[in-house]
Amino acid sequence: MTDSTSTSIMAPSGARRITLGWDANWKTSNPEIAFAGHSQSRTRLSLAEHISNYGRIPTGFTYSLVSDSLRVANLTGRGGAKFPFYKKLAAVYEADRKKGCYIVANGAESEPLSIKDSMLLRTNPHLVIDGLVMIAEVLGAKGAYIYVKDKEAHSAINAALRERRERGFTEAKVTVVDAPATYVAGQETSVIRRIEKGPALPKFSIERVAVAGVKGQPTLLSNVETFAHLGLILRFGADWYRSGRSGFDSGSRLVTVSGSVDRPGLYEVSSGVAIGDILREAKAHSVRAVLVGGYFGGWLNVRDENDLKLIYDDSTLGEKKLSIGAGILGVLSKETCPVVEAASIVDYLAEQSAGQCGPCIHGLPEISTAFARIALSSNVDRGITELKAVIPLVERRGGCQHPDGVIAHVRSTVAAFGEEIKLHKAGKCSVASSNHQSMLLPKNAQGNLAAASGR
Amino acid sequence: MKIVIDPTRCQGHGTCAALLAEYIEMDKWHYPILSKNQLKDSHMEAAKKAVQLCPELAIKIVEG
Repeated sequence: MTDSTSTSIMAPSGARRITLGWDANWKTSNPEIAFAGHSQSRTRLSLAEHISNYGRIPTGFTYSLVSDSLRVANLTGRGGAKFPFYKKLAAVYEADRKKGCYIVANGAESEPLSIKDSMLLRTNPHLVIDGLVMIAEVLGAKGAYIYVKDKEAHSAINAALRERRERGFTEAKVTVVDAPATYVAGQETSVIRRIEKGPALPKFSIERVAVAGVKGQPTLLSNVETFAHLGLILRFGADWYRSGRSGFDSGSRLVTVSGSVDRPGLYEVSSGVAIGDILREAKAHSVRAVLVGGYFGGWLNVRDENDLKLIYDDSTLGEKKLSIGAGILGVLSKETCPVVEAASIVDYLAEQSAGQCGPCIHGLPEISTAFARIALSSNVDRGITELKAVIPLVERRGGCQHPDGVIAHVRSTVAAFGEEIKLHKAGKCSVASSNHQSMLLPKNAQGNLAAASGR
Repeated sequence: MKIVIDPTRCQGHGTCAALLAEYIEMDKWHYPILSKNQLKDSHMEAAKKAVQLCPELAIKIVEG
């Protein structure tokens, strides 16, 4: 990286913040954790502010330089797949790009508990655009897209793009595409179809998106947060990004905390902090369990403080079969039965099926019904028998990841809450209330488990 | 050559399972389960027929 202007900006030490720049107002009591507020609490950084924070956008990168940088940085995709970004870049670089290729930043943010993508785009759209246009230059891409659900984020990106045009930036053309607010809209092939002006529904393909994505051409698709990190790594270098830390992906990441907390919202955390450290800043109380990663993630059973000492990185979480996923921590209080909550989420996900593939259309309602029997202590044995019979008929038979994500949620619940399920077997529940109000479902999606169990 | 079924297109008509019983069985909802996909030469004609007769154009024969 030989850009002379970036050297005039001092790389931030210890605070590698993509949402916050150097804004001291957002500090918490822990220097490794910053609070970025709620969805309405921040305004967009202008191009002038952006450049004064981070320095000019460096240009003139070669593929090998960028690839080496990203390998050393160990940047992984921030949509939940944990895939090393340099490998994704290599797959597109090595594909047949004679007819061009495309870059896509996925901001569909289909996980209802996540606000990170819309917050990042509302606050700091220039950093995401920087990452996009830098990679577009490296690959010689025909065009770049930002796929976004949030209307305000859409406006913020458009305003940012206008500023860049007015300043006379010569860079790849970036097009903003609206994502509908459905769960499957964020699936890779749904994104591609929507960009091609089709419905945001999954498409079956034997080819990977890296080889045949937008208009059948090689396509680099990653979460919007990934591109924001790129925008910094290519300015300040991989060593800065790692800051002496080793491990799977040592950069900061955006985490949305919700549920039984007094300070819900978006946090940017350094690698190496414990889940409990983040929950302390969010002022979590009466913690019974934590949904880690999102609806496609898994459950951490919290028996005492020790369970919260788990380090929030994918290698440590992986030992518990958990994953950072979409950067979601959903805190469940002791007033809520975790199995009932999980069954409500599974019921919601069953309804969110794209309705295209037979095993998903028929299998997910059956899974939801069986799971509701366990959750409501109505007939646990029957529920378990039905789950064992139906899951093999659904798993790996869909045209997208949706049904497998639902099954992963069911398995995680059973693995985490064995004791609770034993209680349910005896017709009991650790929580007395019969009138369950979900803590982690969208307000407009409060399901009816009793109806599900009676189907 | 191998058999590929696009689950987003398939409507469970069952033509493929009737023609390629050695490869395809039907689940309880009447959708095909591919038990194996590597196509033997001797079954190529039946497979081509399944491709032609699928009303949803959901089954394909591809390299591999």
